[in-house]
Amino acid sequence: MNAKRVISVFSLLAILIVGAVPLTSAQEPIKLTVLTHWGEERLLNAQQAVFDEYTALHPNVTFELITVPFEELYTKIITLRTAGESPDIYHLYNLWLPEFVTSGMLSTPPDELVDAVVANTSPGIVEGTTFADQIWGYPTEVNTYLLLYNKRLLEEAGYSEPPSNWDELVEIASAITQVDDTGAVKQVGFAVITGWDSGVVHPFASLLFSNGGDYLSDDYMTVAFDSEAGLETLQLYERLLETRGMDMSISGWDFPTGNIGMIIMANWWRATLMASENIDYETEVGVAPIPVGPSGTETSTLSYNWLWAVDQGSEYPEEAWEFILWLNSPRGEGQSSPMGDILVHEFGAIPSNIFDQEVYADLYSDHFLAPFVASTAYARPEPLVGGSQEIKTLLQTEIEALLSGMTDAQSVLDYVAPEANAILEEFRMAAE
Amino acid sequence: MHLTMPRSWPKTGLMRRRMFWAYAFVAIPVLWLVVFSLGPILFSGWVSLHQWNMLTPVRDMPYVGLENYEYIFTRDRVFPLALKNTFKFAIGGVSINVVLGLAFALLLNSKIKGRTVWRVLYFLPVITSPIALAVIFAFMFNRNYGLLNSLLVMVGLPRQGFLNDPNQALYVLIAIAVYQYLGYYIVIYLAGLQGIPQDYYDAARVDGANSWQAFWHITLPLLRPVTLFVIVTNSIGALQVFDLVFATTGGAPANSTMTIVLHMYNTAFKFSRMGRASAMAFTLFAIILFITIVQLRLLRDRTYED
Repeated sequence: MNAKRVISVFSLLAILIVGAVPLTSAQEPIKLTVLTHWGEERLLNAQQAVFDEYTALHPNVTFELITVPFEELYTKIITLRTAGESPDIYHLYNLWLPEFVTSGMLSTPPDELVDAVVANTSPGIVEGTTFADQIWGYPTEVNTYLLLYNKRLLEEAGYSEPPSNWDELVEIASAITQVDDTGAVKQVGFAVITGWDSGVVHPFASLLFSNGGDYLSDDYMTVAFDSEAGLETLQLYERLLETRGMDMSISGWDFPTGNIGMIIMANWWRATLMASENIDYETEVGVAPIPVGPSGTETSTLSYNWLWAVDQGSEYPEEAWEFILWLNSPRGEGQSSPMGDILVHEFGAIPSNIFDQEVYADLYSDHFLAPFVASTAYARPEPLVGGSQEIKTLLQTEIEALLSGMTDAQSVLDYVAPEANAILEEFRMAAE
Repeated sequence: MHLTMPRSWPKTGLMRRRMFWAYAFVAIPVLWLVVFSLGPILFSGWVSLHQWNMLTPVRDMPYVGLENYEYIFTRDRVFPLALKNTFKFAIGGVSINVVLGLAFALLLNSKIKGRTVWRVLYFLPVITSPIALAVIFAFMFNRNYGLLNSLLVMVGLPRQGFLNDPNQALYVLIAIAVYQYLGYYIVIYLAGLQGIPQDYYDAARVDGANSWQAFWHITLPLLRPVTLFVIVTNSIGALQVFDLVFATTGGAPANSTMTIVLHMYNTAFKFSRMGRASAMAFTLFAIILFITIVQLRLLRDRTYED
């Protein structure tokens, strides 16, 4: 066979092989579906701007955004999964990680992303993104709880400083509450947001931690809130109700209307407070550490975070992770990330990336955010364990029964603790 | 040609073709029912014998037998409470709708001025979104600034918690439900009243019967089928109440307004326990079926039997 013929045959083979190779991702049009709970118009615009920015850099990648209210997000995730229409990318509440991971729903992130999470965030946030010794996505916002107080109402009641312990909390709350001649509660000293599990349980956990208590045992095998510290925390609510420091006819959501003296709430409420016409954000909204309980020695609080994750069944997992990594990486030297910009400008939230916090250091000297940023150093992450959502709802219902006067503190713990332990054991056995 | 149902498949080609097309047209809705009603019901029954979190494939559901049923009847503290609340809601709502529905229908059947306007006004809530009504009533019943409490204060009565009071919240929901659906049952009763021949009343008057006697011996018995319809449909709807409770109290305060369907929803979609939720669904189905059968037997039209 002469050389020309050999070369021709090999060239033809080479062309056929190259032509048979699938198109690279740079050329194949890709649509990534993203599911979040950010449905307000300004947040939709912010998300779309980020998608457009990424598409400009990667013309073959476009996005379809699905948003539902937070209270519908979990339901949406499981119904989409049942229907076989899971999105590529989720923005998840980290409490749901145990169920999602044990069900094999999530894709394992690439090492590059895991390394970035460890390098760019604090250990507490890494812990909040980890389950079964694996990081499952890129953390976004981290939220903690502190005591928000209305300076004007405190001063009118004769107090210039917020409470530092529970006795002061009860005293100040009672002094602030006002009831008119007809029995209408015009303002109340302390309020709790009911009807929402985090609204009830997160403040409870924050107070519990500040009273030296724990939510779960160190090995996560049993609950620990049925301790003396937990009982005292529930009895605090009873004291507030008895002394009229709290009245359930006023919802905690009314704090921005200016008729609530104090509430334990998270930093993401900043935008709402800034927009309120009834309370002056600059001069009337104060932030203080969680008051220390009788069995505690120092203040503490609870933290939780959200994270971006990728569905196990995504058709484009590499592209999805690549987008998530870009979203949470600095645009340039000394610059913030696109995600950091959204969290800061649209929410007043604390981004997980340390470099984002450094870029926005001036903003975090704001009288509202500075204490929250400081609290991330001592906040305890919400425990991630199978069944935690169910336990949270159980606790919420019983605490609300306590607040409605239908039960007492000891009865709450007597019922919830065994039920919660049974749930923990059930999920543990299922995982094994 | 007179068409009657043949006792056996017809022998003639024309009849055979007609029967074929009759069955063919009936087959479409039957198929729809099988696929979209019976199929999901049977699937739900099967799921009730398993544990399923809807995150794993159906084929991987572990079989647990009657464990879900055993849990809801022996260990679930909310289920019996939800059942009790649901029955209270149904009994209260149905009783009021029957009595008030008939009373207002009698009024609107008489020659009062502007009765057409009144009929429209009573029916308006029926076509209003339950969620919109729930939001409005939540404000109206607010303890501190709601309209109802303002009226109570005006007449010197103390403020009430209403939807915030665990002893009152369920009754408030019954009132809201009655407000919403009363108009529908008024219309049903009106149709029934207008179907009673005037001759009966004329004959009764000739015999010396007064209004009450005419009502008791003519109107009520002849309205029996209508009353049966109202009670059965109202009961079925009330036992499955969800949207009103979901939009107002969410089962709060302290599960005092928790209903079966809401508890089922929470179990399925908040706790990812579809097996247990399916067990509740089947239990509710059995309860509704039993109650409906009892109602049909007790209230069936005995006019011809008598």
